[in-house]
Amino acid sequence: MISRSALGRNAQHALRRQCCAQPANRRGFAAAASGSTSFSYETSEVDSVKVASRDVAGPTTRLAVVAKAGTRYQPAPGLTTGLEYFAFKNTERRSGLRIVRESELLGGQLLAYHTREAVVLEAKFLREDLPYFTELLGEVISQTQYSTHEFNEEIEPTLHLRQHHHSAVVSELALDSAHSVAFHKGLGAPVFPSSATPLDKYMNEESIYAFSKSAYAKSNIAVVANGASQAELSKWVGQFFTEVPNTSAALSGGATKYYGGEERITNPHGNSLVIAFPGSSSFTAGTSYKPEIAVLAALLGGKSTIKWSPGFSLLSKAAAGFPGVSILASNLAYSDAGLFIIQFDGSAEAIRGASIEAVKALKNIATGSISKEDITKAVALAKYQALEAGQDIEAGLVSTGSGLVHGGKAFQIDEIGKSVQAVSGDKLKAVSKALLDGKVSVSAVGDLHVLPFAEDLGLNV
Amino acid sequence: MSAPSLINFILKRPWLKRALTPVAAWWGNAAGYRQLGLRNDDLIPEESEIVQQALKRLPEKESYDRIFRIRRALQLSLQHQLLPKAEQTKPEEDYHYLSPIIRQIEVEIKERNDLDSLKVNKRK
Repeated sequence: MISRSALGRNAQHALRRQCCAQPANRRGFAAAASGSTSFSYETSEVDSVKVASRDVAGPTTRLAVVAKAGTRYQPAPGLTTGLEYFAFKNTERRSGLRIVRESELLGGQLLAYHTREAVVLEAKFLREDLPYFTELLGEVISQTQYSTHEFNEEIEPTLHLRQHHHSAVVSELALDSAHSVAFHKGLGAPVFPSSATPLDKYMNEESIYAFSKSAYAKSNIAVVANGASQAELSKWVGQFFTEVPNTSAALSGGATKYYGGEERITNPHGNSLVIAFPGSSSFTAGTSYKPEIAVLAALLGGKSTIKWSPGFSLLSKAAAGFPGVSILASNLAYSDAGLFIIQFDGSAEAIRGASIEAVKALKNIATGSISKEDITKAVALAKYQALEAGQDIEAGLVSTGSGLVHGGKAFQIDEIGKSVQAVSGDKLKAVSKALLDGKVSVSAVGDLHVLPFAEDLGLNV
Repeated sequence: MSAPSLINFILKRPWLKRALTPVAAWWGNAAGYRQLGLRNDDLIPEESEIVQQALKRLPEKESYDRIFRIRRALQLSLQHQLLPKAEQTKPEEDYHYLSPIIRQIEVEIKERNDLDSLKVNKRK
């Protein structure tokens, strides 16, 4: 039996907890939060680790470690992917299971992914848990065990599934192929190893461990946060990132050079065609940033900005006669180079017809037969896209982190807006003429009997 | 499953350890598996999921050697013979190659069970 007095005491206790046990610094949704509404990052260096943060008001934080260890820098195929898959596995202090369960209990989410240039370990959590997750990320990058049984039981099977999946996604294959044709080594390495890559030769837990030593070295990483104050973040990074290796042997993929050419791959799972030109590097690189390319991408268009309508961009007009084809023009920006791509997906016949129309549209821009109104619209769209990308927390995290570890500047969106605004019609004309005169990279994946050669499109490779 | 043992109890008491070390050495030889070329860890019954998992985690060489020892011992047992003295397992060769892995898996399982039956206290 529960005695009445015990019940009473519990009730009192519960009541007290509700009203006054909350600490004074706990903040509800309605209260005015600290932190600026500015979208620029503050940067600093703590104990030779680069730290950037912007204190966006809100109850949640996003914290990421961006390491300059993407597929571009891997010494052998598959190592970057292996490094990504080994994130949040057993460390010297706790098991992978405990890491997942603990962060679940705190309501946090952990994710790891990689791009061509960076490996990103990210955590999303409530603002007050910043110390816990900073410690966790510091521990993951410096004390992961890279044990054999985890590699055999978890990493390798998952990687094989990923490879298998990758070999059936023709748009990814075509993009990888276009990169390898355009840049050969470095940026040309595929984002995921294809199922035909002899991984066993290069990838095992020891080679991944060796790679992690240089990938997660202090000079090679940046800690980026959204929704945390710079002072607090610096304090915790200073405290928890002490065991991160301090080697000076930086990974280097060599400077990127554009080659161009053509590659055709047969694949039963679909059709994709990529036409690629040398593009603009990311804003954080400084000199090789060309805002004209962003405007050109917006002018050619692709994905409609209006729902249930093909849109009014040049490419959507080109695709109008070929139902089922989707075209996307975009600039893939990297730290010292970029790739401006036009990608076609759909049935082989539709791709063939649409690609001929699309190249015609590009030639029209080069000859200057584009209305002034179109250019104004494109500048506005490009500016919006650039600013939105900066405001978007995820894109901002990765681009800022990559910018910092590549020795450039943080992603400052005010300046990007200005430079895009300054693009004129003449500049566009000159740039598209230069693109068409230069060497093009063309990759066709799918039904090669129908898909066009670069020659058929009137492009020189 | 690792065999039940008093080892921790004994190791904590140096006098007991000193007293029992010669007995253990004698027992190791008297048990007879060394004369068949086996190691102590070869005797762990493998009909359990944990041991099966541990066997999968053995390095390739260890796994091959283990199978070789077991087949040789089986053959000797059928023929009612012992190995020549030089080929018998020496005490220093008789180390634990499997039980640390088994213990590691047991710890993993225990941790998972503990976390599954965890009681969460809300932060005040």
